[in-house]
Amino acid sequence: MMKRLGLSLLLLAGSSSAWAGDAAYTIRATELKAKPYGDAQTLRALPQRTKVEVLQRQSSWTQVKAGATSGWVKMLSLQLEASATGRRGDNGLSALFNVAATGRGSSTVTTGVRGLSEEQLKNAQPNPQALRAAKKYAVSRSEAEHFADEGKLQAQDVSYLNGGR
Amino acid sequence: MRNGLFIASLLVSLPVAAFDLGGLGNIDLEKAVQVVQKVQKANADINESQEIDLGGGIASNLLGAAPLWDNPPVQRYVNKVGRWLALQTERPDLPWQFGVLDDNDVNAFAAPGGYVFITKGLLAHINNEAELAGVLAHEISHVLRKHHLLALKKGARSELMADLANDAIKSQGGDPRLSKLVSAGTDIYARGLDKQDEYEADRMGVVIAARAGYDPYGLPAVLQTLQSINPNDSNLALMFKTHPALGDRLSLLDGLMSESLADREGQPDLAARFVTELSAAK
Repeated sequence: MMKRLGLSLLLLAGSSSAWAGDAAYTIRATELKAKPYGDAQTLRALPQRTKVEVLQRQSSWTQVKAGATSGWVKMLSLQLEASATGRRGDNGLSALFNVAATGRGSSTVTTGVRGLSEEQLKNAQPNPQALRAAKKYAVSRSEAEHFADEGKLQAQDVSYLNGGR
Repeated sequence: MRNGLFIASLLVSLPVAAFDLGGLGNIDLEKAVQVVQKVQKANADINESQEIDLGGGIASNLLGAAPLWDNPPVQRYVNKVGRWLALQTERPDLPWQFGVLDDNDVNAFAAPGGYVFITKGLLAHINNEAELAGVLAHEISHVLRKHHLLALKKGARSELMADLANDAIKSQGGDPRLSKLVSAGTDIYARGLDKQDEYEADRMGVVIAARAGYDPYGLPAVLQTLQSINPNDSNLALMFKTHPALGDRLSLLDGLMSESLADREGQPDLAARFVTELSAAK
């Protein structure tokens, strides 16, 4: 119970973005907007490779702090700085899931041991029992529709991009 | 099969006059029919039930490499999101089956016939339901477009694929040639699909998420998050090896999405439900 509560708080704190506080830089010249809309007031023009601090994301917009000014830029005009520790972009679940911080070290990769490395996949043996176990969790059409209703998700008519087939 | 007969009979019935020049025509005609039949045989596609059987074998191998995470609430949740997405596609009634693999590797996989898996390691980098939807929809697209089946047809086991399509291999009952196809199918995970197939799955994935009512920017958000992980982290090695560079995938999506999906930006990301569902994880 304690553990659950702790995790919920951790998750909620970062629910809008696990990137909060992360460093990023602009990959092209872009405009810092007062609000997350294309026609919102432009606060500043940011040249390419401006360093910013990430505050939160909202759809295609990311709220950032550039120097002393906070505002919104297009999410895809940014690149997050890769972190040396590999801990960025973590939603806090990894602690609960026991996801190792740096993953398996190369010294522990052994052919034939279970895992999803290239070598391990090539040597994978079937596990029909696990496949049967997975089927228990399958969801019917009506269950899925009910789940969508609960989340107020509405099916939309959208065409595939690029003359998609 | 039906097509093959049709073309063959067309060749037999129609061009008699055209080919009947000095008696040479009939010989060429026989040859032509044989060539057509051979090409037809090699190009025949496996049917849906064969696809599901083959995909089940590949999925079974994948579960041999990494077990299913023993976490029923999360497995159920991921299946609900996935099935709702699949209902928005051209193959809504496949026996869609989603699962979370108990592995720290950051990756996701699809197998023919409607099998889709995401690792616990990738799930740990996801922030809301729209992001989860984006990843699952990318994998669903591989199934829709039969990318793995196309790779098998182009690969070293193409003859076995033709034999399966022509019912020379039974998809059930333990034919050793089917096991060879299943192994070849599993090898695709180690080698990766065609780059263009990955880009196509990105393009389709964002649309399927939007059709399901989600913020379509979930998939690019996940890809951007992955850019922030130390690229030398061994948990990313296979995903990096088997996919185009994250920056290339993002810039292709950026151009297409800002043109066509700008009006979908208000759609929800259901961050709160995601947090609740994953907090219930035991």
